[in-house]
Amino acid sequence: MRAPAQATAMIEIDHVSQTFQTSARQDHLALSDISLTVEDGAFVSILGPSGCGKSTLLYIVGGFVSPTQGAARMKGKAITGPGPDRGPVFQEFALFPWKTVLGNVMYGPRQQGVKAAEAEAQCRALIEMVGLKGFEDFYPKELSGGMKQRVALARTLAYHPEVLLMDEPFGALDAHTRTRLQNDLLNIWERDRKTVLFVTHSVEEAVFLSDKVVMMTRSPGRIREIIDIDLPRPRRRSELLLDPRYQKYVVDIERMFDDGGAQGGTL
Amino acid sequence: MTSRAQDLLLGLVPLALVIALWQALVSFGYAPATLLPPPGMVFRRLAQQLTTLTFEQDIAATLFRLFAGFLIAVVLGVTIGIAAAASPLINSAVRPVVRVLAPLPKVALYPALLLLLGFGHESKITLVTADALFPILLSTYYGASTVEQKLVWSALAAGTSPREVLFKVVLPAAAPSILTGCRIGLVISCIVVFLAEMITSTDGLGHVLVTAARTFQAVDMFVPLITISLLGLILNAALGALRSYLLRGFPEV
Amino acid sequence: MRSRFISGTRAAPWLACLGLLVIWQIAALALKNDSFPTALAAIRAIPLILGDKEALINILASQRRMTIGFVVAIIVSIPLGLMMGRSRAVASFFNPLLMVIYPVPKAALMPIIMLWLGVGDLSKTLVIFLGVSLPVIYHSFEGAKSVEEKMLWSGAAMGLSAAERMVRIVLPAALPEILTGCRTGLVLALITMVTSEMIARQSGAGNILFNALDMGEYDLVFAMIIIIGAMGICLDAMFETLRRRLVRWSEPQFDMPLSFS
Repeated sequence: MRAPAQATAMIEIDHVSQTFQTSARQDHLALSDISLTVEDGAFVSILGPSGCGKSTLLYIVGGFVSPTQGAARMKGKAITGPGPDRGPVFQEFALFPWKTVLGNVMYGPRQQGVKAAEAEAQCRALIEMVGLKGFEDFYPKELSGGMKQRVALARTLAYHPEVLLMDEPFGALDAHTRTRLQNDLLNIWERDRKTVLFVTHSVEEAVFLSDKVVMMTRSPGRIREIIDIDLPRPRRRSELLLDPRYQKYVVDIERMFDDGGAQGGTL
Repeated sequence: MTSRAQDLLLGLVPLALVIALWQALVSFGYAPATLLPPPGMVFRRLAQQLTTLTFEQDIAATLFRLFAGFLIAVVLGVTIGIAAAASPLINSAVRPVVRVLAPLPKVALYPALLLLLGFGHESKITLVTADALFPILLSTYYGASTVEQKLVWSALAAGTSPREVLFKVVLPAAAPSILTGCRIGLVISCIVVFLAEMITSTDGLGHVLVTAARTFQAVDMFVPLITISLLGLILNAALGALRSYLLRGFPEV
Repeated sequence: MRSRFISGTRAAPWLACLGLLVIWQIAALALKNDSFPTALAAIRAIPLILGDKEALINILASQRRMTIGFVVAIIVSIPLGLMMGRSRAVASFFNPLLMVIYPVPKAALMPIIMLWLGVGDLSKTLVIFLGVSLPVIYHSFEGAKSVEEKMLWSGAAMGLSAAERMVRIVLPAALPEILTGCRTGLVLALITMVTSEMIARQSGAGNILFNALDMGEYDLVFAMIIIIGAMGICLDAMFETLRRRLVRWSEPQFDMPLSFS
């Protein structure tokens, strides 16, 4: 467990707004005045319907997109571009198809200057940890979706980012694979409790995984509510599904989404 | 300014640079006017030729062969392509033949065509067809064979007969691919007809070029080249517009 | 089904060749035209050409020019195409220029280029260079354009600079498409070579072809056609093997390029 110390905000999002130009040459306000702090070691989900800009928010923290207004900061320093301190895991896997599993995972460490032998040893351990031992020499095209995502996770973990940015990473997978990977992700996360920003549209996934759920409205995306998930860790799916506290969180959040719709509001 | 307009302006820069460089080479005496006539002279000659009957007849001859060859290639290519996609039997007959014939430089067949069909329009049209056929055939086959199965099933469930499905579902669904192939085929047709006319002909743009070359008239050599380039651009744009119109319902492709 | 079995084997293209030759033979016998020799007569004439030292030297010289033109073209065109694919400004800059050049048969530039550069190797190689460049630029452009953005972002997160991303991500990712462009370019190199020789009538395979035509030696004409055709097929097959080896990791692609000109 981390010593609390001063609650250093790992990530600060400060009045960020994002406007896009659509093909119809109109301005589309994707995000509207988002302010959020994420503490070190927290697992935070960003939850919302499609098109609410939640992925855009993640990309801004990742430094892949510049906010039209406002700024994002990491440990007090402004975020100006991508870097190995904020590692992304994308829904589309984004693996390098010309490299094997091992080649993909070793990419980051080699880039950081780690010697080949040492990098290989570290990466093989990582590949085993994500459950892909024996597949090191396979090419991405030979892997299933779930396996590809495991490789993507291992690849990002390999360069030891302080923050994990996960963009609906299990969205492209079937339900069974999804639940398996959710469990595996928590197991891996428990080991060194990195800060995680996890984008999803699934209420159950958000409640199951996170310490905090940030609920967003429909476009233009605003923060509707931030809910602390006070459930004990480590979390086991079989226990949690039967836990009335878990069930209450899920029902309450879903109701909040529904209500917003019924009132014809911006949810 | 819209980004589209910006793109267009940016694209005109290299063209303007080339013409400026061209003019500079002539003005500063790096190239004698006999070898490299100044751009003004060339464009004036072009304008002059465009109103001359003989040149117009040459353009007409070239266009006739081009269109005839291209249209035959379209009909043949689309028919065979769809047939091959629809019937495994036809596919197994066509596929190896196409595999062999496609990489052949069909222009090598030109002497054979001259011998068999004479020196007139027929040999050139046949050559154009032979060269334009393959891209159209291949892209039709590709488009038809990758039509989503679910589309076909939906139509069958609604009572469409298998033959009707070919026309009502497969052909429209393959249209983007077919039209891309046609675009390539059209440019190839421009290229091949010009070449065939250069090798042996008594009229047409290619012939104009060769005649000018034989009499060392540099200006007259530029004129047909620029003409075929403009023709290619215009035809390409026309086909592009047709494509946009025909595919207006499709997602961005 | 039997037919599927036949077309699925590697013998299929050879059978197709054989079939075409048979059709040729029958058609020639049926037409009984002096200027249309039978396939067998043409095949028998092949050694006459290949055995002739001067003709052989000519053909080899053609191939040398073709190779040089091809290699220089791909060295220049691939980087250009990649940059066009990733930078909208670069693409907008070069696109119209390329579209103006595209419909002009490069071999048609031969007379003018010969006027400027003489009748030596340079003019022929230059024309081949121009002919090969366009498809290679186009395919490199398409390949670079379709590289997944998220892959580049992953690379950026790992600390790669823009230049590194271009060389270490865009290039390998676009490689299948680039190689398709090179395959087209290779066939085009052959075509441009032959047609420029047919036009320039100096030396080389195209020249041999038309000399035979002029002198009425129709067996030789068709023999030469077979030789040129065989060169095309061989080059294409060799390149395809190379391509498959180099991009073993890629999803299976439609195995024939869409454009040969």
